[in-house]
Amino acid sequence: MKQKLIFSILICATLSVKSQTNYQVAQIPKELLTRASAVVRNMELNINVKDLDDVTYRYKIATTILNKNGDDEGGLYIWYNKSQQIKSVKGVVYDKFSIPVGKISEKDFKDVSTANGFSLFEDSRAKIFRPAVTVYPYTVVYEYEIHAKQSMVFPDWFPKHSSDVSVENATLQFSSKPNFSIRYRENRYTGDSVKIYKSGDFTTYIWKAKNLEASRYEPYSPSPEEILTSVRIAPNTFKYMGVTGSFTNWNEMGNWMNDKLLKDRNTIPEATANYIRELTLNISDPKLKAKKIYEYMQQKTRYVGVQIGIGGYQPFKAEDVDRTSYGDCKGLANYTQGLLKVAGIDSYYAVIYGDDYKHNALLDFASMDQFNHVILCIPFKNDTTWVDCTNKENPFGYLGDFTDDRLALICTKSGGKLIRTPKFTDEQSLQNRIATFEIDAEGNLSGNIVTTFTGSQYDNRSSIVNEPLAEQLKKFSDFYSIDNAEIQSFKITQDKSIHPVTTETITLKARNYASINGKQLYLPLNMMNRQSPQKEISNRTSAVKINRGYVDVDVTTFILPQGFKIDFKPDNHNIESTCGTYRSTVEQKGEIIKYTRKMKLKEGVYPADKYQDLVNLYQSAYEADNEKLILVAQ
Amino acid sequence: MKKYLLIIFILYSFQLKAQDFKEWTISQAEMEMKSYSKDTSANAVVLNEFGDARITDDDQENIQFKYHTKIKIFKSKGFSNGDILIPIYYGDNNTFETVKDIEAITFYKDNNGMIQKQSFDASKVFKEKKNKHWTYIKFAMPNLQEGCVIEYKYTLRSPYHHTLRKWDFQSELPKVYSEYLVHIPAVYEYNVSLTGPLKLSKNEALLEKDCYSPGGGFKADCSKITYRMENIPAFVIEENMTAPENFLSAINFELSLITDSRGLKHKITQDWKDVDALLKKYEYFGSQIKKKDLFKDQVVTLLADKTDGLSKAKAVYEYIKAWFKWNNQEEKYSESIKKAYESHTGSSGDINLSLAAALNAAGLNPETVILSTRNNGFVNKLYPTLSNFDYVVVKLDIEGKTYLLDATEPLLPFGLLPLRCINDQGRVISFTKPSYWIDMVASQKRTKHYIADLTLQDNGKFKGTITKFSMGYEALGQRKIIKNFNSLEEFVENLDEKLPKIKILKSEISNLDSLEKPLGEVYTIEMDAFDNLNKEKFYFNPFFMDRIPENPFKLNERSYPVDLGAVEDSRIIINITLPDKFSVINQPVNLSLALPDGGGRFISNTLEEGNKFTFSEIKQLSKAIYTSEEYPALKELYNKIIQLQKTDIIFQKAK
Repeated sequence: MKQKLIFSILICATLSVKSQTNYQVAQIPKELLTRASAVVRNMELNINVKDLDDVTYRYKIATTILNKNGDDEGGLYIWYNKSQQIKSVKGVVYDKFSIPVGKISEKDFKDVSTANGFSLFEDSRAKIFRPAVTVYPYTVVYEYEIHAKQSMVFPDWFPKHSSDVSVENATLQFSSKPNFSIRYRENRYTGDSVKIYKSGDFTTYIWKAKNLEASRYEPYSPSPEEILTSVRIAPNTFKYMGVTGSFTNWNEMGNWMNDKLLKDRNTIPEATANYIRELTLNISDPKLKAKKIYEYMQQKTRYVGVQIGIGGYQPFKAEDVDRTSYGDCKGLANYTQGLLKVAGIDSYYAVIYGDDYKHNALLDFASMDQFNHVILCIPFKNDTTWVDCTNKENPFGYLGDFTDDRLALICTKSGGKLIRTPKFTDEQSLQNRIATFEIDAEGNLSGNIVTTFTGSQYDNRSSIVNEPLAEQLKKFSDFYSIDNAEIQSFKITQDKSIHPVTTETITLKARNYASINGKQLYLPLNMMNRQSPQKEISNRTSAVKINRGYVDVDVTTFILPQGFKIDFKPDNHNIESTCGTYRSTVEQKGEIIKYTRKMKLKEGVYPADKYQDLVNLYQSAYEADNEKLILVAQ
Repeated sequence: MKKYLLIIFILYSFQLKAQDFKEWTISQAEMEMKSYSKDTSANAVVLNEFGDARITDDDQENIQFKYHTKIKIFKSKGFSNGDILIPIYYGDNNTFETVKDIEAITFYKDNNGMIQKQSFDASKVFKEKKNKHWTYIKFAMPNLQEGCVIEYKYTLRSPYHHTLRKWDFQSELPKVYSEYLVHIPAVYEYNVSLTGPLKLSKNEALLEKDCYSPGGGFKADCSKITYRMENIPAFVIEENMTAPENFLSAINFELSLITDSRGLKHKITQDWKDVDALLKKYEYFGSQIKKKDLFKDQVVTLLADKTDGLSKAKAVYEYIKAWFKWNNQEEKYSESIKKAYESHTGSSGDINLSLAAALNAAGLNPETVILSTRNNGFVNKLYPTLSNFDYVVVKLDIEGKTYLLDATEPLLPFGLLPLRCINDQGRVISFTKPSYWIDMVASQKRTKHYIADLTLQDNGKFKGTITKFSMGYEALGQRKIIKNFNSLEEFVENLDEKLPKIKILKSEISNLDSLEKPLGEVYTIEMDAFDNLNKEKFYFNPFFMDRIPENPFKLNERSYPVDLGAVEDSRIIINITLPDKFSVINQPVNLSLALPDGGGRFISNTLEEGNKFTFSEIKQLSKAIYTSEEYPALKELYNKIIQLQKTDIIFQKAK
């Protein structure tokens, strides 16, 4: 009791120093108003770990909304579930003179399910509130408390969580008893270095952020997690849904997962095991065996999300997946691991962050919340193969842009290890197109287009690959800008070998491809792969990150109609830029015009001031792609 | 689009056999089917579908709806049909729908090619409380594989008396056979309407003896009516179409008459006269509009210096717009405008009924118009079905002019309705005279005028001004875009950055907040055109403003009308001054195109005079809705425009 008292006095003391009860808009520092639609006047989060299954979060957030674009910032969204309950929530709205004009209580909140898409069950819900204030600026102050029965995952602290918001003051305070020790990781933290107090039984950490200015969205930026100020906290020992654990590094985390989440869950029922043995009986190469099993799993199962309780982290049992033929990423990876084991092939359960953007696990900071997906890693001699078990179409061993080239944690017998998934080089991610177009005197086109896609571009046609022809024809205009196209044949084939290739073959006609203007015929050279211009950004602050590079090659041969001569031929272009290259040439041989275009984008991180180079490259490409050949009737 | 089905009672005395198809059986042919012959592109097809709805004598489970379906899945893209989601309505803790007796089986071929069946896992039926009023019952079919057949059935029980479920014959999947059987006790009469273009292959009513006994010895016969369609094509959504419900083939029921146990008849779905009377005293409608005391004090202040009706109305309209923040909900009723007023927020019902009450307080005699928004579909005009309407606006007649008002969006000028309201017809509810239909057509166009005055400098750059005037829906849209920036400077900065070739030197935006005036944007610019002026010929494409990069109309033909909402009018004038001694040697042909029946036109023209030339362009789409017959002409108009936009003005230095 006494200790608690001391603790609460400590909080009061620290709060009263920081507490800001004056929300007058006139007092906001001028530099915090630029580009801001809202200003976080003060944000306090106090996390108090009383026990492994007794954690309290106390929030106090005061935000001034400057205009209607900031309304979202004035709202509150509190996520909860069975093990994370909302204890209390209230709020007050102030006008610009800091005079209270309204109160908010729990009954004003809407209660909604947070499931999106078809997920069989998710037990998470949210309470949502949006104030209705029509006079700007106004200030909303919320105070709420959440009680969590788990200490495995703590939310990352982002004092400034979005671009057009500035922050006047923010404080994170974390208290726990000394036997509950933590690791923490600061990113772009510029405030006073963390203060650590010991008082009675509790150790308290305090982080503060001050005067973070609003920014704006800058294309080709590193992810917000990389560029925003944040503090991550991870426990050394914890409890989650009745399961206890402890780890301080990736190796230990892998061991814990093996023991507590994965052990004894991938036994395959005998009937299926026998079938697998039979299926692979005459295959001696383990890699080909694994391929056969993976393809069997792909045709047998489908993805259905189920996130409930510990199931958020623990896979369905393999026998359940075997019986129902569905599961989420964990269940399907675990099941496939079981199938492979039947054939004597070892594999590792691998947790990863799946996204088009390459998110890496932090090398030296182990925590459970850095992942959202599970895949499988199969170590063969001299070769490590990766498979995503939720994808019904992927070739064996192919990871597309959802999981390529990033650090994943594999759970091996000797514990967890961070290793990188395979990467495609810019040159490997190739789209190669060859087209032959015959043009008649009316400007009508007939011809064919053959395109191959490899590397990370292998998936470029995934939206239509298994669709019926009628659907594929409808989507033609999503990929090509040729108006009035009459498609005579359209075929996509996929070679799913170790170096997979997608091939698209089209024969078509298009009325009025070239325009007639009096005696002139305007022939567009490139209606198949046109660069869009890129917006400039003055005073850019963040680095330029090209997440994934590629090479596109287009070679189009035009057979011109009789009786025309060239009136205007565009120049050849050869643009070398920091972030890529663009080349185009137009060659004439009698009635044959050969147009060649090559665009290369180079993956990498470049200084902020190189952004203009990227804009210039795209702009030059955009203009060149719009050029026309002008012919005159003789 | 809607047909009135007469319920003809053909009386048979013999008992009919159950009409549901045989459950949990599969034929070899169904198992071997490789594709659906009538639609080979389908990923799955409904082989059979049967529904049975009856009104029971149980108060808590008044409506019993049984659903049974069998679906053949050809391709893995059709697997989503195995993720079953049944939405049920949850009124409050005492009144809610339930789903019971779920059974589900997948028929598939095992690893040896033998047909197997697998029941779903009944312990994995999940209930998700989506929001206050809707709960989802969800389960997943087991063992899906290409070529499998899934079959499931369930019973839904509803406490909502007399609310017979509608039946959608048409869905995203084609169907071989779909049948709906309803049992209606003779004490009830329903208006039944069939929507969509497809025809029933069977429509038959039989007598069912003593099927209904609500108690007290009272018994009634039922009519047992079968509605069937066969070989139903999949429904395909097209762009620029209004709500799919307008075109989907479905059958709908609306209770019209109840005979009580004493033989007295009670009209439920009345004629409009009854509805008028009902709405007038309805506590969520007429009673709300009468609450003018709520605005009494405000109105005195607002009207202090106003003398004529129009300026009074505008003052009240602006006041209501500024007071409320719309919660994005489309409603025609208000539970309490007082509550909405106090909380500064509400649905379209709350806000526009408040507007009506406030205009009432100002002595301006507003009427209300109930309507169905574009997403909600057309209204049924055969008989009054209030449930078809989902929105309300205010109608005001001042000095012989009619204004339709919606106060949900701050940027709407007086008299302009948002596009969501421009749909078919609305019903004017006037409490002094009978209600009547009006066409919900846009009161203003989508108008944009561009004027560019540019001079080519010796350094190869154009310098001058670009002016844009927007009116009607164009101005509404543009104001929204501008207001999405925290300041005008940020808007102009963004515009400048989006156009790498153009540098905006100065900008002036006028009437941003004077909503009834044209929005003006004037930019002084410098545009990179040529690296230098030492070339022989110069190619200049005058279509750099408001260019149409691709034909927006892609389909070769359309099944449904193209509904643009409002008429469009756009004009471009470009005046170019070249340096001395330069002159135009070639220009795009002057074009004049027109759509049939005055449906629209496109005119472009280039005029040259020495070193100056003027290029002008007019594009008008004079109809808000183009029928599928008019579609090819509309598409060709765009084709011709795009053809033209590829051509250049060519000029050179005099030799």
